[in-house]
Amino acid sequence: MDDYAIGVLTNIGLVSFLALSAYLLLVAGEMSFGQQAFFGVGAYAGGILTAMYGWPLPLAALAAMTLGALAQLLVGLPTLRLRGLYFAMATLASAEMMRILFELLHFQRVVDGDAVGPDGTQGFRGIRWVFEHGVEPIEYLAIVYALLALALAGFLRLERSRLGATLRGVGEDAELAAVLGVDVTRCKLGVAAAAGALAALGGVLFAHHNTYVEPRNFDIMLGVHSLAYALIGGLGTALGPLLGVVLDIGALEGSRVFQGYRMIVFGGLVALLLVWRPRGLLDERTVQWLKQRFS
Amino acid sequence: MSLLGVQDVVTAYGKIEALKGVSLEVAPGSITCLLGPNGAGKTTLMMTIAGILKPKRGRIVFDGADIAGRAPHAIVGRGVALVPENRLVFPGMSVLENLLAGAYQRGDKKTVAEDLERMFGRFPRLKERAAQLAGTLSGGEQQMLAVARALMSRPKLLLMDEPSLGLAPLVVEEIFRIVADLHKDGATIFLVEQNAHMALKVAHHFYLIEQGRISFSGTPGALAEDEVIRRAYLGSSKA
Amino acid sequence: MIDLAQNTLDGLFLGSSYALLALGFTLIFGVLRRVNLSYGPAIMLGCYAATWAHLSFGAGLLALAAIAVLCTTLAGAYVERLCFAPHRQSSAIAAMVASFALWMQLEELATLALPRHIYDFPPLYAGAPLDFWGLSLRVESLVMLGAAIAVCALLWWILYRARFGIAVRAVIDQPNAAQLAGISVPRTFMLTFAMASAIGGLAGFLIAASHEQVTPMLGMWSTLKGLLAMMLGGLGSLPGAVAGGLALGLLEAHSQWFLGPQARDLIAYALLFLLLAARVPWMTTRSAS
Repeated sequence: MDDYAIGVLTNIGLVSFLALSAYLLLVAGEMSFGQQAFFGVGAYAGGILTAMYGWPLPLAALAAMTLGALAQLLVGLPTLRLRGLYFAMATLASAEMMRILFELLHFQRVVDGDAVGPDGTQGFRGIRWVFEHGVEPIEYLAIVYALLALALAGFLRLERSRLGATLRGVGEDAELAAVLGVDVTRCKLGVAAAAGALAALGGVLFAHHNTYVEPRNFDIMLGVHSLAYALIGGLGTALGPLLGVVLDIGALEGSRVFQGYRMIVFGGLVALLLVWRPRGLLDERTVQWLKQRFS
Repeated sequence: MSLLGVQDVVTAYGKIEALKGVSLEVAPGSITCLLGPNGAGKTTLMMTIAGILKPKRGRIVFDGADIAGRAPHAIVGRGVALVPENRLVFPGMSVLENLLAGAYQRGDKKTVAEDLERMFGRFPRLKERAAQLAGTLSGGEQQMLAVARALMSRPKLLLMDEPSLGLAPLVVEEIFRIVADLHKDGATIFLVEQNAHMALKVAHHFYLIEQGRISFSGTPGALAEDEVIRRAYLGSSKA
Repeated sequence: MIDLAQNTLDGLFLGSSYALLALGFTLIFGVLRRVNLSYGPAIMLGCYAATWAHLSFGAGLLALAAIAVLCTTLAGAYVERLCFAPHRQSSAIAAMVASFALWMQLEELATLALPRHIYDFPPLYAGAPLDFWGLSLRVESLVMLGAAIAVCALLWWILYRARFGIAVRAVIDQPNAAQLAGISVPRTFMLTFAMASAIGGLAGFLIAASHEQVTPMLGMWSTLKGLLAMMLGGLGSLPGAVAGGLALGLLEAHSQWFLGPQARDLIAYALLFLLLAARVPWMTTRSAS
């Protein structure tokens, strides 16, 4: 495999975490424009811990995930009772606040004679744990996909469980679910924490893949993209968001055929696709049909 | 020659057929009444004729042209107006604006203004409340507004879906007096009713719909003769 | 003291451009109950088309305004056909994501035609600012404020005095009854969308001509500022959109003066977040028209 292919595949894996995070919230009935913020929290927290304090990556990743979960809980507590557009706007506002805070964050430390750490709009350089520890790009790719597989396994298990059915119930009709005895608030907070942790994990891996992050990486474009991936791929299964990412980054960017006007092709295709399938390629009905077919 | 001819119409919600091949006719200048229990397909039929629902099969011939499946506004343009179930006035608009909305397709301001005066003559209560928001009217007033709004399009055929629903007996009588008046002025009316007693006083022809099919067609006399219908819809036996 | 007055004045003028953007946004949301994310990118495409005409033929200001409004309207109509007309009954999320997809498309189209990072746009008024007792007044700002007021008045007239306004309000109020009254709902949606896009095009032209430049950020900027002003003013109310725009302008001007440019955006978003979290009544109860 050449470096370019490895790069594209790694990117697909990294963005998939974010798409899964958006998907999880969508299944529970919330549309978030702000998952990129927790991706950013993960990237910055992970980078600070490994590059500035010398933590090992796995430990830093766990810490960053915890922080991501807490951050999303913090945002979710006052806003999860809002509906539809109101929730979407609240998440957008919080994510933009977070991005501006990254721009204001100047926090550096001298490590081996170099100043390392976030430097406002100049970004955060030197997140080199992966290189310093001799992890080859192909190995890193394997790590990313192993973690993604783990997350997917968790999702697929969840979707077969009663909890999964409950979540979908909350997503479709929160009032009905509440009447049936579901603790909707607890459900949604749990979902928020998991979504925050997932996004943060993606962020940690992203930061250590790129070695450099800047506040601009985490703008609204990234958030709406991840939401779009979840919806294009389909809301019927956790494989949907992955399919969405693969279609965009893999088929269009990766193929280099449409270079220069990729977005014109992609944008038009997505709009047409949604006319044909408003809940994505792998929507609930298709998934149901596939299950009956192959079981 | 009938004004409206419904021929073998099937309308479905997903896979469930609410109308399973309905055929009926409405003669010009008549009051025709459709009776039937809840869920038999009365409102579905009205919505299908008005174009809100698209039939899966069948023809709806109005004034010599097939209107089945056309857009609702095009059907209004051809001269069919529906007074919907539960009235559906525009609650956030004034009574006057509701009436103007009913005349939306008519460009000629002068004749619209004339019709407006005629409506206010027929429904003095609406004139008193012309500037009031329709959402603040009583149920009976809203029903009158819904009728007047439909008339503002100058329909050749007026469809009315349960105009007496949820209204006090005195108001119901008033509504039926209006129906009779409209007929006297030459209107053709196709009416859905649960209140068979009132309908018997005004209608010339009856249809009974049950489970999506027409199960009876006849004059008021024939309806009153039919023992089963008497029991079910008039609540009394012949004895 | 003079600074405070000058800031307030600047804020009002800045706010009037936000108000114009929010008016178009609100019109679409009020009628369709859908958010059109490619509102800003359509404006950007219109302004880029005008810039292109200026560079190629040296077209004059009035022609540029006409081109900006026309192209934005066309782009808006395209978005409506592809993203909103098919999703009238189905999910709001699909419509929003589809409009995001076209955002990408319109933006790339504009930057393919004009790929540089910045282009000059002819100024609305070339003379020096007016001076009133030490306050400086830019003529273009006055025009912007005047345009916001004129558009608001025109919209009010259309909605409450013209025949088309009855259709728009009927569709908002009770869409099923509107159809039964003979009003074509798809046509009303389409025309409202076109009207909103034309307002956006006008806003874009005025903004480009008073900043004397266009950049690829114009699309995202217009969508975000319009959305923010619309939300601050309470979703779906036209006077609210104007109030929200002016409030946002004032807030930005003052916080920039006191706390610097990064704090400016931070405070605007923080305010929106807090108002939403506190569920202040004017923001969470939707009023129509």
